Amino acid sequence: MIFAAVAPVLTILVAFPLLFVVLQAIFPDIARGIFANPFSRFVETLFDKHLIAWTLNTLMLGGSVVLVASLVAVPLGILRGLFRVPFAGLWDVVFLVPFTIPPYIAALGWIMALQPRGYLEQITGVNFGGFLFSFWGVVFVMTLNVFPVVYFAVSRMVSSIGGRYLEAARVAGCPPMRSFWRITLPLTTPAIAASLLLVFAMSIEEFGTPAALAARSGFLVLVTGIEQRLSDYPIDLPGASLLSVILVVIAMAAFVLQHRIVSRRDFQTVSGKPGANRAAELGVWRIPVVLFFAIIGFLGAVMPILSVVLTASTRTISGGLAADNFSTENFAEIFANSGGAMEALGTSLSLGLGAAVITGILGTMTAYVVVRQRTVSSRILDFLTLMPNTIPGVVVAVGLILAWNQPWLPVTPYNTIGVLVLAYCCLLLPYPVRYANAALRQVSVSLEDAARVAGAGGIKVFFRILMPLIFPSILAAMLLVFAVAARELVATILLAPIGTKTVALFIWRQFEQGSVGMGMAMSVMAIAITMTIPVAVAIWARKQGRLF
Amino acid sequence: MKSLKTVLLAGFACLALTGNAMAQSVTVYTAGPGGLIEKLAAGFKDETGIDVNVFQATTGKVMARLEAESANPVADVVISASWKTATSFAKKDMLLDYTSANAKTVPDFLKGPGYVAQGISALAIAWNPKSGTPKPADWSDLTKAEYKDLITMPDPAQSGSAYELLAALTAQPDLGWKLFEGLAANKMIVPGANAQALNPVLQGAKAVVFGAVDYIGLSQAAKGESIEVIFPKSGTVIAPRPMMILKTSSHQNEAKKFIDYVLSDAGQAMVAKTQLMPARSDVKADRPLIADLKILEVDPKTDRKAVLDRFAKTFGME
Repeated sequence: MIFAAVAPVLTILVAFPLLFVVLQAIFPDIARGIFANPFSRFVETLFDKHLIAWTLNTLMLGGSVVLVASLVAVPLGILRGLFRVPFAGLWDVVFLVPFTIPPYIAALGWIMALQPRGYLEQITGVNFGGFLFSFWGVVFVMTLNVFPVVYFAVSRMVSSIGGRYLEAARVAGCPPMRSFWRITLPLTTPAIAASLLLVFAMSIEEFGTPAALAARSGFLVLVTGIEQRLSDYPIDLPGASLLSVILVVIAMAAFVLQHRIVSRRDFQTVSGKPGANRAAELGVWRIPVVLFFAIIGFLGAVMPILSVVLTASTRTISGGLAADNFSTENFAEIFANSGGAMEALGTSLSLGLGAAVITGILGTMTAYVVVRQRTVSSRILDFLTLMPNTIPGVVVAVGLILAWNQPWLPVTPYNTIGVLVLAYCCLLLPYPVRYANAALRQVSVSLEDAARVAGAGGIKVFFRILMPLIFPSILAAMLLVFAVAARELVATILLAPIGTKTVALFIWRQFEQGSVGMGMAMSVMAIAITMTIPVAVAIWARKQGRLF
Repeated sequence: MKSLKTVLLAGFACLALTGNAMAQSVTVYTAGPGGLIEKLAAGFKDETGIDVNVFQATTGKVMARLEAESANPVADVVISASWKTATSFAKKDMLLDYTSANAKTVPDFLKGPGYVAQGISALAIAWNPKSGTPKPADWSDLTKAEYKDLITMPDPAQSGSAYELLAALTAQPDLGWKLFEGLAANKMIVPGANAQALNPVLQGAKAVVFGAVDYIGLSQAAKGESIEVIFPKSGTVIAPRPMMILKTSSHQNEAKKFIDYVLSDAGQAMVAKTQLMPARSDVKADRPLIADLKILEVDPKTDRKAVLDRFAKTFGME
């Protein structure tokens, strides 16, 4: 019943544009509506001598980011979920910040902070340029951009498992460490696996960071090859689409692996009235734990923002951090052009909210179908909702244009703001789907059965029983979607309806004209304004007395 | 659940209805600089009352969008930063043959059947005087030891003009690939597109850009950045920015008027203000013009892929 509602919407939203990506890979002239010379470009693209190196590099990058992100974010998430961490609400907000910074700005921020004669060297006399422009530098920056995905999934999950199992273990005489290894960690598996899958997908399709940092060390990945095919005339749409299909295949392997891990066991832990969840005290560990949170928060949020703020507050880049070079000119110019800037902010915030609401509802329904139905068709649906996250945004954008600019369509959102809503929903649907999927795996079917026996219909069960239980996870995912949609650039550049201004476009155009300072000033404003929503949610959640 | 679908469909229908273009308008797809097209659009609207709908991105993205839209074209006028887009569109018979009355003083090599230059940029050396290195005068100076570890270059695989420079210089008998092998020995880095090559030089991590886009460097210098644009003695390549009207345009009269406006005195003055060379030879600008530069040609028979491959090999970017 829900399947019947979800399937057509997903078909329009995701399958339709992605079908055109595949068609474009096979038929070079599909853009003109001609199905001639199928596969004619395969040889050229697939026998490119770089292809194997690019593919291996892609796997290495994705694998390393997954590894480092899990080492950082899983402990953070578990600590946050199990213990009363000082300033807990603050950390939740701080860890959302990396999502409000567009990756290309974060990368530029790190470059300007760490390169020789960058801000760090100007202040302390040392630079880490050698590290930043290396493979591990790319992994470092990328991990800081994506680790919150794992942190939020794990912390929400751990807190919903709650203390009952650990309580029981303690009563049975199990030492705390063992109960952690034997109970908490295994039960958190769905959340860890789901969020690491997202991280993997994000790190194999993200272009900004490898382009800014890795290209000069000669470390090229598939996305670099895709971007090259779309960056100069003559462009090569079939080649770019075909390389994207390779990314999808890689992601499919990761998806199957993840599916094996979470299907091996039953993770249903919420099978009755949720007990009052008392977080444990940290005791002597308070200081080291707070330090751990603070260091990661500083690296992930404060450092890049500081660099952005410094660039925005100096008159010229070459003037550096000299007293006579500080000025508020860039901010003043943003205010002088407040018409354009405010319009862009308004558009971006509305798009972010719209995408968050639509993907939240759709993602939850999709996950419900996938977790409860366990049929082949629902498995296909599940992978379908991961696919957009494995294809570079620019290629998804090409697919959307090919799909929605067909002359035979009676109505089309193309060249209206609607196409951006479609694009963001398509690109960001994976977040709520993965989060809801992991959360639903913990909710016992017996709860639904009980409600049905008591005479509640399907929709009532969904909204009265399931939603309250999984809502913290969904809300966290929706906040991530909101933050990303409010600053999306890669697909937006190509898809933006004529005359539309979004924040990311505004910033990018400043950069492109060489007004880096002004672009950075706009970024500061955008980050500050975007963050008001998560902060408001965090305050509201505190009043409710639960994790958002 | 049914109702949700209805709401979504109704929403899309509303959005689609608002997308109808105004009667008197022209749609322009343009590569940067963004500030220029905004000024041109405003001036054109004041003079003719015709709205200009702008899509602005990099040349590659403009071409990708045009290509993806080809089943149902939207653009009337295309302005790109790469001359060969115009010649190849003309070959494919995609352009409306139009010669503006204002194009009389545009040199012959900057116009063709259906296309004409808006303005011209050249590639140059962009050098940071605060870097403590001697001021370079020619490309080959950068192979000297003083510049070791201090040079950047835009990636010719991503920037059309950087490729042209590479193709032109490697074809010079006295320079050839030896020049680039010297630069590789000097640890020149190739960090990406134009902006990524300039940023390290502004901040002082590097000292000099090999093949910077001149107008960007000149406007940075005008803003007070410590950067000097040097046109090398042995010559450089220019990148004229072609304007063209697509045959598929349903606003051909408005499109023609727009081309006329860009080539008018007012339009060319705006072009000059962005530090680009104006296309018309009778318009003055406060910067070196084509007549002041030694221009190198690129042999049209050059094998682009072979050149790019050899470049990547030379700089260990394989």
